Parts: sequence; C-alpha cells; structure tokens
Amino acid sequence: MKEQDLKRMKKIFASYYETAEFSIPEIEKREFGIGNVKKIDARHLDFPNVQSFRSYLCNNTPMFVSHSAAYYEFPAATPMQKKQWKGADLIFDLDIHAEGKYGPYRKLDEVKEDLDRLVNDFIRNDFGISQEHIIMVFSGNRGYHVHVRAPGFTELGGDERRELVDYVMGQGLNYREFFTFSEHRPPKMFGPRPDEGGYRGRMARRTVDLLMKNPSAISRLFANEKKREFFIGGIKKGNWSKTSLKLKDLRERLKIVADTLPVSSVNTDVGVTQDLSKLIRVPNSIHGETGLIAKIVDDISSFEPLRDAVLESKEIMKIKFTEDVPEVALMGESRSFRKDEAKELPLPAAMFYVLKGSAVIS
Amino acid sequence: MEDSDFALKYPFSSEAKRIIRDVALTDSVVELGAERIKKALRKDSSARVVIDESSKKEEIASFAAARMILGHLRNTFITSKFAVNESKAVRSQLDRDGRKIVERVASRFGIAVGEHDGRQKIDLPTYLKYSIRAPYYRLINRKLTNGFVEISDNDLKRLVEEAVRKHVEDIPLVKNAPESIKKAGERLIDELPKSETTITVREGDHPPCILKLLESAKKHENLNHSARWFFAVYLTKINMGEEAITGIYANLPDFNQRTTAYQLSHIRKKGYNVPSCATVMSYGLCCAVCRVGNPIKWHKLSEQRKKEILG
Repeated sequence: MKEQDLKRMKKIFASYYETAEFSIPEIEKREFGIGNVKKIDARHLDFPNVQSFRSYLCNNTPMFVSHSAAYYEFPAATPMQKKQWKGADLIFDLDIHAEGKYGPYRKLDEVKEDLDRLVNDFIRNDFGISQEHIIMVFSGNRGYHVHVRAPGFTELGGDERRELVDYVMGQGLNYREFFTFSEHRPPKMFGPRPDEGGYRGRMARRTVDLLMKNPSAISRLFANEKKREFFIGGIKKGNWSKTSLKLKDLRERLKIVADTLPVSSVNTDVGVTQDLSKLIRVPNSIHGETGLIAKIVDDISSFEPLRDAVLESKEIMKIKFTEDVPEVALMGESRSFRKDEAKELPLPAAMFYVLKGSAVIS
Repeated sequence: MEDSDFALKYPFSSEAKRIIRDVALTDSVVELGAERIKKALRKDSSARVVIDESSKKEEIASFAAARMILGHLRNTFITSKFAVNESKAVRSQLDRDGRKIVERVASRFGIAVGEHDGRQKIDLPTYLKYSIRAPYYRLINRKLTNGFVEISDNDLKRLVEEAVRKHVEDIPLVKNAPESIKKAGERLIDELPKSETTITVREGDHPPCILKLLESAKKHENLNHSARWFFAVYLTKINMGEEAITGIYANLPDFNQRTTAYQLSHIRKKGYNVPSCATVMSYGLCCAVCRVGNPIKWHKLSEQRKKEILG
C-alpha cells in the first residue's frame, strides 16, 4: 500500500475509534497487542480503562488491535510468567478455508451454520453455558470468534480446553462405547435414546433420521416399514435390539451413522482455544486487512458480515484497481472489477479493496 | 468414623490439618515423613498400622513433614513418585470406605456429586480438571448434558484419586526450611539409587508429540496408559534398543523394571504399528499440525518442513 493511502486509512480508522463502543470485561487485567505490518508487532501493552485505550487508538491508530483472552495480575509484565495468569475466556475460532484472495468472502454463509451449531448445540446445550456468558464476534475478515466467559470455565488449563475442542470436533469419538450388551437370553443391545444430550443423543437422532430418509442404508431389512418402525420404537426407549439382525453386526453397521457425527461438528482452530496467552482481535475494532469491523453479533441468522460489519459513512472514495477482482457481494451489491478500472465507491467498499491490495486511492 | 481415623487415611483433609495443629515438628515426625517418601520410592502404598492416639497424630503429621521435605528439595522426580503413591494409597482406602466417605473426600477438592434424573453427575469444569486423558474418560465418550457429566461410583473414585495426585504434586516451595527438614532431605538424596538415567535422543528427530512425551519423561512426569503405549510402540518402531527405551521409562514416577520389560517384549512380539495421527489425537497427545498422517512418517519430511513445524 502507498504511504499516503495508508495515512488516509489510518485517519478513517481514528475517526471511527473516537466514538466506537468498547465493552471489554476487566480491561485492566488484559494484555494488548497492536500491529501495523503484521497482525501483532508489539504486545505486553495494558490500559487501565476504556478512555485510555480509546485515546491510544485515536493517537497511534494501529491497523490491528488485539487483547488477551487471559486476565493477568500484571498484564504488561514480561516475560509471560511474571504477568501472573488469573484465568482466561474460552475462545473458539472458526475460519473459512478457501482458495484465492476473495474466495473466503463467498463462503461466509457456510461458517455461519457452523457458528450456529457450535453455540447452540455444543456450548449451550452440551456445555450448559447460558447465553449471557457467550459473545459471538465477526473476526473482521473470514470467520468468527466465540468468547465464553462462564464461571468455572475461565480457570481451565490448556489441556482441559483442548478436551473441549476435541469434543466439538468429534476427535476420538468411539461410538461403540455407546452400546452395551446384556448377558441374558435373548441377547439385547442397549444404546442412546434420541432425547439424550451430547453425542449420544445425536447418534440416536441421526440413526432415526437416516432410517426415515434412506431406510436400507443400515440394512435392507429396514426397507420393510413394519420392521423399521419396530426398530425405531426400540431406539426411542434406548433398546436397540428390536430387530432380527445380529446385534454385534448391527453395531458395526451403525458406523455409517457415527461417521457423520463429526462432520456436523465444528472445525475449530485448535491452537487458539488451547493457548492460554493468545491475543484475540478486540471486538468492535477494525481489521486492517479489510476495513471491516470485528462486530459483535447478536442474531446469527440475520447477520451479513459484508453488509453489517462495514463502517458507517456516506462518503465516496475514488479508487483505481491494480488487479482484476472477482465478484464479491459487498454492501448488498455483487460486483467484479478489472485491472486499471477507475471507480467511485462508497467509502467502506473502496477501503476494502485498497486494504486488500487490489486498488489505490486516486 | 472418628475424625482421627479419617485424618489418618486422608491426611490432606481439613480434619487432618486441625488435628496436627498442635503437633510439633519433632525429629521423629520428620523421620516418619522421610520414611513416607522412601515408601513412595519403593512403590509401597500400604498404610502403616498405628493404634494409640499420639502415634496417630504423628502419622498424620508425617504427611505434612513429607511435603515440607519435598517443598525444600524441589525434585520433580521424587515429588511425582510421592504424589502417585499417596493417591494410590487414598484410592485403596476409598475402595474400602463407604459412599459417604467418598463424597466427603471428593468435596475436599470441590467435586460435588449431584443427582439429576436419578443419575449421578458432576459439573463439566470439575470433570475436565480431574479426569485423566484415557479414552474411557474422554469427554466425547461420556454422557454430557447441560454442563453435567454422568459418572459411576468407580469413576468418582478415580477422579478423587487424580485430584489427590494433583494436589500432592502441587507442593509449595519451602524457603528457609528448619534444619531437621534440610537434613532429612539431604539423607534422602544420598539414599537415592545413583543410576541417574540420561536421555540421549537428538531433538528434532521426532515429531512434536513424541518430543513432548520425551520432555515429560525427562521431567519425571506421569504418563497415562495410552501415552506410554504409543511412546513405546514408536520407540520400538524406530529401532531403539530395549535398554535405551527402558532408560527413558525409568524416569517415570511409577517405573517398574519387570512390567516395562514385559510390555516392551509384548509390543515387539505383537509387532504393533505406530497408531495414526487421528488415534494419537484421540488420546489427547497430538500437539501440532504436521499433516503426516502417522507420526512415523515424520522421518520422511524434509528438514525444512520439520523446522517449519517445530517453529
């Protein structure tokens, strides 16, 4: 990016920061990191309150600003051990992996589904954490961060956090352990009921779903409605033996159901959750690679990052493209651009392309 | 159960602390403490039989004295051994004691057992804190609903055992220890078998998961069954000699020459393959993104790539 373009961008950032809303719980216990060239060029900063943080942003205006998930007694102390760790928010990071510079922006909807499942199925239902302790934040680029700040969870160590991520990702799922056999005659196999929580309930519900949608997927026997209904009736009570199939065989056949459980799970960036000293983008700060706001999301279903996370501005900016840009649906308008094309665009859109390195201010 | 009997079995309890409040740190108490540590080094977790009240008090105090000696020595090897041994001793007491006692000991570590829908459950953070990373205890294989994990009576005892191990292992540093403690510490070190094991494996030669296990072994940390098995299979497969592997395993707090020899020969006989990365991940031992599929394939990576992964 050209020097004067960068200056212009920073000026826009600074004017946003003058009034931006920040609610950073226990801000005085957080370590901050800022970046201009990289996402984090300097860390071990601390701020006693929002005002001092704001004035730092207005005066120095970094391109990226992050705070620690952790709380420390001395957030600015170095080395790390001297900070005295007091706990940390539990962070889940959802990222889109797509080819090309603009690929991810066309797949932002996919990750929204994962976000919904992560928050509702896993964090709320399974982990039992109430909504008031969860915030969902658009990362400002191509994913979402979920911050969990619930009693009991903030004290967890890295190893224990890893266990939660593995759970969400379905790592180490051994569905065979869901089933037990009785010694008596006739033989019986007991397993999860659809109304159970966690993976067990998911296993039972998915099996019933599969039997309804594709009756012979597990065995051709279930193409017969009567036999199928009889079997499903048993599952609902946790009795998986209401069939003439050999029960040990049946358990093996259920692998096709078990294999789909992790797929519906969330592909979460492992390192972020496990790392107890990780810095994470400050909610409501601007992402220096896109000019989009790392916005706190209230309602996942209605949130459209490329429409709702842009800066508020009526200004128009003249830019000239320095490379071809494929179609991106930015601010409700799907457009592609050609190299050397000169355009007048709404400020947030112009910023987006300049920061992505595809255009210069003209 | 009398408080003193409870305290005798569970010397980390508040009852124990109260009972020994007025017990002086006499030479005989320090001696008993040192003996307690020596028992751990011999892997003898049997309880000492004491009958009269004053010997009971001394025996309870010996636990505190042992911790002072360990806090003074700051030797992770001895401390880990002591923690494992004490937790095993507690476990066998729990097996003999009734349900009420188990719950009483559990509550000492903030493990509160609740009944939900007629099932015994504990809250998720506590479960995560005290469950070991063995497949049976992996969260994914448990009944988890609304922040509560269902556990059996046996699971509860295992969690308490681990809580005791962690608690005992976390020994506060003792600065300016009394002379008697210092002397007992010196004698203990003198009596340690002198076969100091040295681990000589070039670092960087192994995938990060193995390096981490090596690191743990060096620090004399305890490894669970899956970790030990994976580690041994890997070392066997890279053609490390039995003696060298035993040398590494000798660092573990509950090392047993015979068991190790038997297990290594079993692994060799069965010709086990190194488990895949996915399996290693399911053991909770994967700690990097190497994308090799199987830890053994690490050796096929270019030096450049290895460096990138190891950072």
